[in-house]
Amino acid sequence: MGPAAIVVRDLVKTYDRRRQPAVRAVDGLTFSVQRGSIFGLLGPNGAGKTTTLRVLTTLLRPTAGEVSVEGFNVVDRPLDVRRSISVVIQESSVELLLSVRDNLATFGRFHGLSTAAIRARTADVLDQLDLGDQAGRKAMDLSGGFKRRVQLAKVLMVDTPVVFLDEFSTGMDPILKRSIMVRLRAEAARGRTIVLTTQILDEAEELCDDILIMNDGRQAARGDVHTLKLLSAGLYDVTVTFDQLPAGFEAELAAYRPLRVRTDQNTVVVTLKEQDSPVIDVVSHIARKGRVLRLEVSGASLEDVFVELTGARPAAVGARTASERNL
Amino acid sequence: MGALSAILYREGKIRATNLTFIFWDLCYPLAYLLVFGVGMTKAFGFGASLPVDYNAFFLAGVLGMASFGIASNTSWSFFMDRENGIFYEMLTYPMTRAQYLLGKVLFNLLIAIGQAAVTMILARSILGVQILWYRFPLTAAAVLVGTAGWFFFYAIVALLIRQNDAFNTVTSVFYFVFLFASSMFYPIGPLPTPFREIAAANPITWQVDALRYATIGMGRASVVFLEGAAFCLFTAFSFGAALWALNRE
Repeated sequence: MGPAAIVVRDLVKTYDRRRQPAVRAVDGLTFSVQRGSIFGLLGPNGAGKTTTLRVLTTLLRPTAGEVSVEGFNVVDRPLDVRRSISVVIQESSVELLLSVRDNLATFGRFHGLSTAAIRARTADVLDQLDLGDQAGRKAMDLSGGFKRRVQLAKVLMVDTPVVFLDEFSTGMDPILKRSIMVRLRAEAARGRTIVLTTQILDEAEELCDDILIMNDGRQAARGDVHTLKLLSAGLYDVTVTFDQLPAGFEAELAAYRPLRVRTDQNTVVVTLKEQDSPVIDVVSHIARKGRVLRLEVSGASLEDVFVELTGARPAAVGARTASERNL
Repeated sequence: MGALSAILYREGKIRATNLTFIFWDLCYPLAYLLVFGVGMTKAFGFGASLPVDYNAFFLAGVLGMASFGIASNTSWSFFMDRENGIFYEMLTYPMTRAQYLLGKVLFNLLIAIGQAAVTMILARSILGVQILWYRFPLTAAAVLVGTAGWFFFYAIVALLIRQNDAFNTVTSVFYFVFLFASSMFYPIGPLPTPFREIAAANPITWQVDALRYATIGMGRASVVFLEGAAFCLFTAFSFGAALWALNRE
């Protein structure tokens, strides 16, 4: 691992509002990102991820604290920071009136590429992102997924040492997403530092070397996927597929005090703590309820850790108090 | 220069996607001069009390109006960039906020110069306006500084308002107030005192007076010099305020 590409120390960002108390979107955040790594900034809506990213990309000035990218302070040396980064922001940001090719050429010019370099890289990037057939089309005529591709194509046009991706996979089909993830891995292997925000935890689990989970503007957890999963030791997912979902099944499960129950057609995923309910009891109960086509018991996923730490519980059964949720 | 040329390239590419726009940009002051100027002269005998033909008098007015119009349209593009999402992405590109503002107006300054040249050439050949060609550098300076000044002024409003419909309302009011309370359509000397004082304090009057002096030689050099200096201050102040508004984004 090389030296840190990004250093954030005691970052605070507050938003002043008229006749209302100021909102503290980021509250004393400290972290660093190693050069050549893929760093994931995770958290529920309103956790402060995008605000942090906007400070790192010089779109916002911090209220307090120190932030540097590639050794340049974002307040004192914003231009040097901008020379070091390329950004895919959350909104679909393309030049609607320009063709895909001209979108790439314009971006290349802003980053100082020569006409010859733009021509060579455009051909390469169009090919890699399977955009060749769309090269002459105006961006306004593209679907949302293709516009997103154009955004990603732009950051591949240049060699900035740091890349920021805010919810990069929005609107992408799984095949494209996979190929982009492979490409991002390759970029990191070349030494580029990639910082991404996402709410798709499988994506972070597969891609990120280092993860910071934010909640209410603060760090909730930090580490690689394995370290984070240790935070949920004793947490299990029981996945069961029936030929037909038994009536009243979810209500029965409440007796085992699961953390979450997710149902998708005939498949149910139950997340529970071993200390609350022995897994074997739950499995035995489930097996008696109907014809089971598939049964799987696995350790906690990153999503489980995320839910535990942030309190975001999309489909909980058996409500528990905040103190009970502590690991 | 790299950042400025990149923005120039971008604006040019966008504008070139519709050549009709460029044609209209180049010719609309001339159209205004032909339709409004000639119409008013023929219908109401405008210009009878002027030392020059009304078409000659109004030439500087349409050049000023063109600066004002280009500036308004260019600043409107902030809203389009915001809608496209490209606005915030561009603010992460390797350029300063000042370069971004200057770059936005650069392409339109070229259009404004082209527009002034086309209008003056055809005003001479179609309407017979006697133009002081040797003062063209002064005309060009008045067009360039004028267009930039009005763009920075409008940029303040566009960046602070952030709502397209509200911006359109404000620009309509600006058009009404700035254009009619000025020396654009008529000399301000015979106007009632309060109206005349408002017009004298209106930067449009300063720019149009400079253009009138440069194109047909009308006006006193000392007054035009003062008005020109005032307009330069107005431009510098507007640029600073637009930069402040952009940094607040």
